[in-house]
Amino acid sequence: MEHAVETFSLTKIFSDWWGRNKVYAVDDLNLQVRGNEIFGLLGPNGSGKTTTIKLLLGLLYPSKGKAVVLGGDGADPKISARIGFLPEESYLYRYLNARETLDFYGRLFGLPANVRTMRIEALLDMVGLKAVANRPVGTFSKGMARRIGLAQALINDPDLLILDEPTTGLDPIGTRQIKDLILELAKRGKTILLCSHLLADVEDVCDRIAILYGGKIHAEGQVRDLLLQTNKKQITTGAISDTTIERIKRLIKDEHADCVVTSPMDKLETFFIKAVADAQQQARPTSGAVSTTEISAFLAAEASQKNILDKLVSASVSRETPSEPTATEQVVGVDTSEPESDEQLLRKLTKPAEPARPGPVPPNRKITTEPVKPKAHEQDEDKKSILDQLIRQMPDSTSPKDNTEQTDKNQ
Amino acid sequence: MHSIWAVAANTIKQALRMKIAAVFIVLLIVLLPVMGVSMTGDGTLKGRLQTFVSYSLSLTNLLLCLLTIIVSIYTLTNDIKQKQIYTVITKPIRRFQLLLGKLLGVVLLNIALLVLFSAIIYTITVYTPKFYGASEADLDSMNNEFFTARAALTPPEVDVTAEVLDTYEKLKKTGQLPPEAGENEIKAELTRRKQLWKRAAVVGQWLVWEFNNVRVLDPNESLFIRYKYEVSINPPDMQVYSRWDVGDNRQYPPAYESFLRKDPIRTFRELEVPAYLIADDGYLAIRFLNVPLNRTTVIFPPDGLEVLYKADTFTANFVRVVLLILFRLVFLASLGTLAATFLSFPVAILFSLCIFFTATISGFCLESFDYLGEKLTWVYYYTVRPLILLLPQFDKFNPAQFLVPARIVPWSLLAKVAGLMICIKAFLLLLLALLIFKFREIAKIII
Ligand SMILES: Nc1ncnc2c1ncn2[C@@H]1O[C@H](COP(=O)(O)OP(=O)(O)OP(=O)(O)O)[C@@H](O)[C@H]1O
Ligand SMILES: [Mg+2]
Repeated sequence: MEHAVETFSLTKIFSDWWGRNKVYAVDDLNLQVRGNEIFGLLGPNGSGKTTTIKLLLGLLYPSKGKAVVLGGDGADPKISARIGFLPEESYLYRYLNARETLDFYGRLFGLPANVRTMRIEALLDMVGLKAVANRPVGTFSKGMARRIGLAQALINDPDLLILDEPTTGLDPIGTRQIKDLILELAKRGKTILLCSHLLADVEDVCDRIAILYGGKIHAEGQVRDLLLQTNKKQITTGAISDTTIERIKRLIKDEHADCVVTSPMDKLETFFIKAVADAQQQARPTSGAVSTTEISAFLAAEASQKNILDKLVSASVSRETPSEPTATEQVVGVDTSEPESDEQLLRKLTKPAEPARPGPVPPNRKITTEPVKPKAHEQDEDKKSILDQLIRQMPDSTSPKDNTEQTDKNQ
Repeated sequence: MHSIWAVAANTIKQALRMKIAAVFIVLLIVLLPVMGVSMTGDGTLKGRLQTFVSYSLSLTNLLLCLLTIIVSIYTLTNDIKQKQIYTVITKPIRRFQLLLGKLLGVVLLNIALLVLFSAIIYTITVYTPKFYGASEADLDSMNNEFFTARAALTPPEVDVTAEVLDTYEKLKKTGQLPPEAGENEIKAELTRRKQLWKRAAVVGQWLVWEFNNVRVLDPNESLFIRYKYEVSINPPDMQVYSRWDVGDNRQYPPAYESFLRKDPIRTFRELEVPAYLIADDGYLAIRFLNVPLNRTTVIFPPDGLEVLYKADTFTANFVRVVLLILFRLVFLASLGTLAATFLSFPVAILFSLCIFFTATISGFCLESFDYLGEKLTWVYYYTVRPLILLLPQFDKFNPAQFLVPARIVPWSLLAKVAGLMICIKAFLLLLLALLIFKFREIAKIII
């Protein structure tokens, strides 16, 4: 099948109870999303993005026209088993906790128990909610609920992922993760239909976009083609001297073109990620989401193998043996003030969170002077006594993991 | 199937964790033992047990009915209103599976609660006599009249159509018909009077009832004649003297055994007679004599006489009564589900409660409408009456009405109620609900 999603003059007219007040929410829409592409649906508020998605999924019935999803009707269980859907707000059962929520949706897909548990754990890890997995979802912050919503959409390993403004309420790291995740999934041959008006997000990930206005497509095409300014060129260099700049300017002048020279600014996203990375290295307590890149492991394993079960088994194995040396390396390297790329920073930020994951309230120094030991210590049975000593001796150490690090260095 | 179970489990969690069920559970757990201690009835141990069973079962029944209505409506309307249904219905689950899952959840919850509460009631009932150290005589009477399940024989209504026609013609000929009343009305009134006279005995008159096919399991046991008097003039001490003959009157001399009684009027009384009085072929005759000591005509109301005999154990009967309650809960769950598919929470609750209360008094409604004037009756016959008949008749199968007089709920009745209330009425409701829900636009918001 060529198109993952195709609509044929899809129209949705809302009218009130008496049949008056007609709203053309979607108007004669012909949309084509090819298989294995990241398609962005853009548009101002009320332009019909959400309505289009609801029509695709059978939550609304079209007034005219029809929609074909994965070669069939989106409401057909055979088709919907292959779709992951994240609605515009995470509509979740408030009284279920995070794990139960995922379990419930897993059951709806009829996943066998062992697959379910493995996926749930992997997904909880991925969205960074493992530490709060036993709290009712109703008590979650907006972004945390969003993360569970995302996990819910991925529980069936969908072929088509429909995301309605996935990044609303998410912190920059979460946003970044979703973008990475989308790219990762696309690499794996999945199709993603993304709705958003955060243009930066769309620009980063989408292959093709359509801009809706008043329920009609206003512009459509490859992002690259739409945005490329063929009449301009940009040169990025390392630190160069003023004389060199003068020489370049002269060269350009010879071609009768204008040129502006400035120093590039860091993106705020990069800066934010760096700041949070610092905080996490110091293992500050948080009862919120803890970012990880576990999805990479989860997905990487999936890519290399065919059988879903195998994928998940290996995923869980690779999860249980976090790359210990890298973690140590990163903790040590955090002080280096060399500029780093976004990707490196992000990875650094998220990796150590697994071994050093603080509970909802990580033990801090004052608590650990008591004989009761926090859970993390149990792994280091043999080092217990040394650890205890260290905790008392070192007022600066803030987390058990840091202590271990220190111990290693001291030895 | 797995998705139905998942939804059912989720529904139960919802009912419990959103504290809807909790309110009812706590209320009942507190109230039932309190009732067990505080209810004294008429002072006798039997009266005490009868009051307790009657009130506790009625209360449990009422509260569970309300709970069922509320939960079955809440679980669906809340999902739709808070839009969790968006994430559920887009999963590989069909709409009927979602509805069935919700219904199954409510029914399972009901079964669990019903088992819990009926176990409490049963335990209290059975242990009360031991707790109060009942005397031999008390125990004996309780075993005969409470801790058992008795089948009842009721005399059939006497056919008086011929007599009524006769009288009507006579009145017509003599021109004594009241001009303002219609023919049917007059005939109905005549029928009522004739039948009343068949059940009335003037001073010194005998009344005879005959029963065939009376089969008692154990001929050493007793039969119980349960009766109630109405009188034309209240006797000074509100008591009626009587002589009862029980036996076989087909031969001469009749094999009767006689009993002399003195009973208060307008209350049910029981006369215990040995079962060997029944003839070998199952024939039994009962005669009542309005002895001349009385100065009044004695009238038996329509349900004023029946013959009871032990046919099953109290426990088995109790279980069947609880099943009767379960049936109506299943019906109400279907009703709630139907209401929730097209109404919002408050409206659906109102709608279901109206139907519930109408069903609770449907017998009364039918009866009272039957006395309406002719013209109104016609309208009523084709509008309200069929609607009321569509509803289940909760008051006809009131749980207390069986356990208090230790009356058996035969399996045949149970099967009939199950067939009518669940297989037909609840099923139709559910079918309608599925139909509505199938075509409903889930994400459409109507204000
Ligand atoms: N149930 C409804 N009844 C009536 N009108 C509706 C309904 N749902 C949506 N609309 C109208 O349809 C139009 C499109 O709404 P839609 O939710 O698809 O917009 P959107 O593109 O998702 O906007 P946003 O960016 O704010 O999420 C709006 O004018 C809205 O008022
Ligand atoms: Mg929207």
